Amino acid sequence: MTHYSNGSFYNPAYHDSETLELDRRSARMPHHSNPYAQEEPPWQAGRTTAFSTVMGQRGHADHGSRMDPWEGRQEDSRRGQGSLPMGPLSTHPQSPPWQQTPHRSSFQIDSTAYHDASTLSRFPTTFSANMTMGLRGMTMRRMSMFANGDPSHLSITEVAIQNELEHEEQNLVKDLIACSTKDRIHGIRKLPMSYEEKKHIRSQVLAFKSSKKSRHLSCFADCSENVSLSFRRCGSSMALARQTLALWQGTMKEIGGRFGTSVLSYFLFLKSLLMLNIFSFLVNFAFITIPMFAYNHLPQIPANVTFRGLELLTGAGYFNYTVMYYGAYSPETIMGLLDYNMQLAYFFTIAAYMGLCGASIIYSMASSFKMNYVLSDPMAGGSWQLLCSWDFSVTNEKAVRQRKNNLRIQLKETMSEKIQRKGLTPAEKMKHFGIHLGAWFISTSLAFGCGSAIYFLSQYEQQQTADKDDWSLQHEAETLLVPFVVSLVNLVVPLFYSLFNKFELYSNQRRQIYALIVRNVILKMSILGILCYFWMNEVANKFSCWESMVGQALYRLVIVDFFFMMLGSFFGEFLSNVIGTRLIPRLGVPEFDVARNVLDLIYAQTLAWIGIYFSPLLPVIQIFKFLVLFYLKKVSLMQNCQPPLRVGRAAQMKTIFIALLFFPSFVGSLSLVAYTSWSLTPSKHCGPFQGLNNTFSVVELWITDLEGISASTWVVWIYHKVVRSEIFYFLVTIIILFITFIFWQVTQGRKLLIILLRQQIVNEGKDKTFLLEKLQTLQKSQPTQQSRSRIPKQQTKRRSGGSSTGVRSNSNAMVQTFLAGEQGSRGNYSRDVPVPSDISTSFQRIPIASDRQSSSDAPILAMQGRQRAEVHNYSTSSTLANPLVQVMQARQEHDRPSDGMDDGSSSMSGIMMQVMEARKRADEGDGMQARPPATESSVPTTSSALIQAMLARQQAQNEYDDGY
Amino acid sequence: MGNKQTIFTDEQLDAYQDCTFFTRKEILRLHSRYHELAPHLVPMDYTKEPDCKLPLALIVAMPELNENPFRNRIVESFSEDGLGNLSFNDFVDMFSVLSEMAPRELKAIYAFKIYDFNVDNFLCKEDLEKTLNRLTKEELTPEEVQLVCEKAIEEADLDGDHKLSFADFENMITRAPDFLSTFHIRI
Repeated sequence: MTHYSNGSFYNPAYHDSETLELDRRSARMPHHSNPYAQEEPPWQAGRTTAFSTVMGQRGHADHGSRMDPWEGRQEDSRRGQGSLPMGPLSTHPQSPPWQQTPHRSSFQIDSTAYHDASTLSRFPTTFSANMTMGLRGMTMRRMSMFANGDPSHLSITEVAIQNELEHEEQNLVKDLIACSTKDRIHGIRKLPMSYEEKKHIRSQVLAFKSSKKSRHLSCFADCSENVSLSFRRCGSSMALARQTLALWQGTMKEIGGRFGTSVLSYFLFLKSLLMLNIFSFLVNFAFITIPMFAYNHLPQIPANVTFRGLELLTGAGYFNYTVMYYGAYSPETIMGLLDYNMQLAYFFTIAAYMGLCGASIIYSMASSFKMNYVLSDPMAGGSWQLLCSWDFSVTNEKAVRQRKNNLRIQLKETMSEKIQRKGLTPAEKMKHFGIHLGAWFISTSLAFGCGSAIYFLSQYEQQQTADKDDWSLQHEAETLLVPFVVSLVNLVVPLFYSLFNKFELYSNQRRQIYALIVRNVILKMSILGILCYFWMNEVANKFSCWESMVGQALYRLVIVDFFFMMLGSFFGEFLSNVIGTRLIPRLGVPEFDVARNVLDLIYAQTLAWIGIYFSPLLPVIQIFKFLVLFYLKKVSLMQNCQPPLRVGRAAQMKTIFIALLFFPSFVGSLSLVAYTSWSLTPSKHCGPFQGLNNTFSVVELWITDLEGISASTWVVWIYHKVVRSEIFYFLVTIIILFITFIFWQVTQGRKLLIILLRQQIVNEGKDKTFLLEKLQTLQKSQPTQQSRSRIPKQQTKRRSGGSSTGVRSNSNAMVQTFLAGEQGSRGNYSRDVPVPSDISTSFQRIPIASDRQSSSDAPILAMQGRQRAEVHNYSTSSTLANPLVQVMQARQEHDRPSDGMDDGSSSMSGIMMQVMEARKRADEGDGMQARPPATESSVPTTSSALIQAMLARQQAQNEYDDGY
Repeated sequence: MGNKQTIFTDEQLDAYQDCTFFTRKEILRLHSRYHELAPHLVPMDYTKEPDCKLPLALIVAMPELNENPFRNRIVESFSEDGLGNLSFNDFVDMFSVLSEMAPRELKAIYAFKIYDFNVDNFLCKEDLEKTLNRLTKEELTPEEVQLVCEKAIEEADLDGDHKLSFADFENMITRAPDFLSTFHIRI
């Protein structure tokens, strides 16, 4: 590359040819450029001109900087990224000083024509599509260009590619300008370029924006600009705040660095649940508890009830009279500056919280699903394991070593599986099926057995409990029995389930994990379902303040579950670590069981959601629990566990966990709370809803109140026509079903499309190989042509040499110089005429020639020397015309076969090839047209041969254009 | 970072925010990390956009990259000259692409560059062999390496040219959802 570019500065022929290229374009562009220019909508035209002025300025700057070629080169290489091999070349002429004048004009024409043409391809409606396509195209182009070998190929198309790139850049900038601010920033961020280039594009876009703003300085635009700016500032400061709040960033990095993404996903899940609970606590505290405190409506604590310490575990006794539970809240409307209706506040706060939770879970579930499931399909291993499985976030040396080992083992496994994959015999299949069936039967019956056992236990316990205020310590401790049993079941039965893995043989590991998860979920949900049934049916009828009783039960469950989680990590991780390292080394260091731990979290969160109605401050306990759990699990993980052996599909597991959090957990608790507030009668003597038939009648009362006020008739109307009307729900359901159906159809269509597109890629590949084969056969036939074309040339050389050996005059030198000049310029383009030796010899001879004339001695003035030599030749020795003509003929002969060859290879598709060809032909045309004036003219001493040659070339160019 | 001295002007920070996936604070943190790598080379004042590049050896020594089997390739792919000399802008670029917010397409482009050891725009067998050797501590026998690479190409090659083009690679990545979370370096 460097060789080429250096040569090009001192090779006038090269400059000429490039100039010609530009001239041709500028001459051609106006012909078919922009017939629609008049029809353009005015706004667009304005935009275009403004844009081109911006670009024009830039162009000028570029031009200025390229007056000194080396300066230009440096700047270019600084600006372009390393992957682009084109350093000094630009679309604009890089003229040697003596050719400055004609080029300026050509450059001007060029740039305007260029912009006109580029505006043509713009359709305002398809901006975004254009942009993405443009980005992609650019990416691919860049990808295909960086540091590709074969310089000869590159050098031919370089100018074309550069043009293309600049064109794309303009288009990109224009598309970005058309976008909204947010899209624009996003678009710039997504560009696969270096920062410098992105900044360059950004500055162009911004420059255009500001120029537009100064032109249309209307108040509205100004305002909207300001507003959008302030919104952006606000957004970025929000992001900043979010980051400041981001908990445990260092810890997360450490965990990710040592254990990889799949274990990290547990901690991220824990963190998001913690955030959810903090939010819930804030909402409940602000809208339910603070008003109670503010107006000193605190519940009266009976004198004989004191804090005994056991309340922290049981939640009963003293706690029963605090704001912890439903029973402590009063139904009154608090009179103050504003009336604050506690009933409404309680109802709407909890409804809003549940609604927001649901929305956020659905949102994250949908986005995760879209990201991880829609396009993914199971791939057996191989390439995936090789290229996508490495976890870049792992930074711990030991973990890296272990991971490498694991990957090696896995690869070996997949290989052996591939080699010895054989079908199972029917008997084996039956056996496997039987084992699965048995395992499922046992696990399901175990789950229901546990559920019913807990039901009877709670019934028994409830019979022991009297509905009174003062409990003995022993009695209070007895209430812990049910939560204890429940947690024990939750701890032991899953361990039992995981024993099944030893007997069950699943064909792949994922299915095994899914089976385990489903069984655990069934167990947990059946236990919770039974408990809820018990609370709704038996507790609700027995106790005077039953909501508080349920709240206490949930409190106990949450607390005991917390202790069992700690115990679980002690037994599950610490003990098995001790056993694995000290006693039975065969077992090895345990892995962190992400699935089991996440299911525990989901269970804990379900308890918190169910409890939100009965005990509004339960989230406090939950926050505390999760905080402790985070540090505990972290320590346990760091001390006891090893990185996972298998590289699992963490992302899909994450989606499944969010889905589980939504479906049985959230939906279950929501329906429970909804059932409670719609169908159950609140307690008569405590809580905010005392004296009502059901909780929801609060809203009815409120509406009847509002009916008197004329200003709020719309609320009443909405209530009657929307909330209470079956028709509305009916219609909404129909519409949703309809939309779902349409989307389902669209999905099916897309799936079909994806299959077709994949097929198309395969077909394209086949086409490519076919064309490559064709090309190869063509290339095989090429060498014969080439050798044929070389023969006459060598002959001519020999002949010309032979005829002028005796003379050995400067004329020969002239011929050679001329040839060398032509060939030198050609040698850069075409691979079959490399003549570096000619150049050197000719340049050695020029001084000799000029010495004879004794007029000039510097080799830089070779041009003059050449010209004089010419004159000298034709005046003195006319015999030389003969060899010269012969050389000419030989050259033409040589050109022709190469021309034909090009035609042959032009069957290769692609515009680039056409450009190449056109370029070659142009050069050949130049060569042929340029020589006759040199040989035939009487050569006036005033005009330089070079200018003549240039003129001739332009003439040739015109002919060439006309020919087209 | 703590001192009052300005490292970047507001315009610079705005430009960084618009062009990368980082916030102001993260840019400043990145700068301090970059500064830590070579305190005597990297100036604290970047308002004049000094031309300062750190060689590959210094960057690779960062704890985030030190154990990564592809560390050299990562740094090389993001350097302007392809040799691994990173200016601060390249440095920011690198971590921007490797950050959590970067979209899949962008990550795919650079992942492809990283895996393309011989920079020929295709993941050919040679590249995959190198990748595999880096991933497995070179403990597989040559036959096993051959076999694995052949299988991998066979699996992912859609157009049948016995090497993976970017399209093949991207297609594979869209089907491997974990890629987005694993091609991620926390800074």
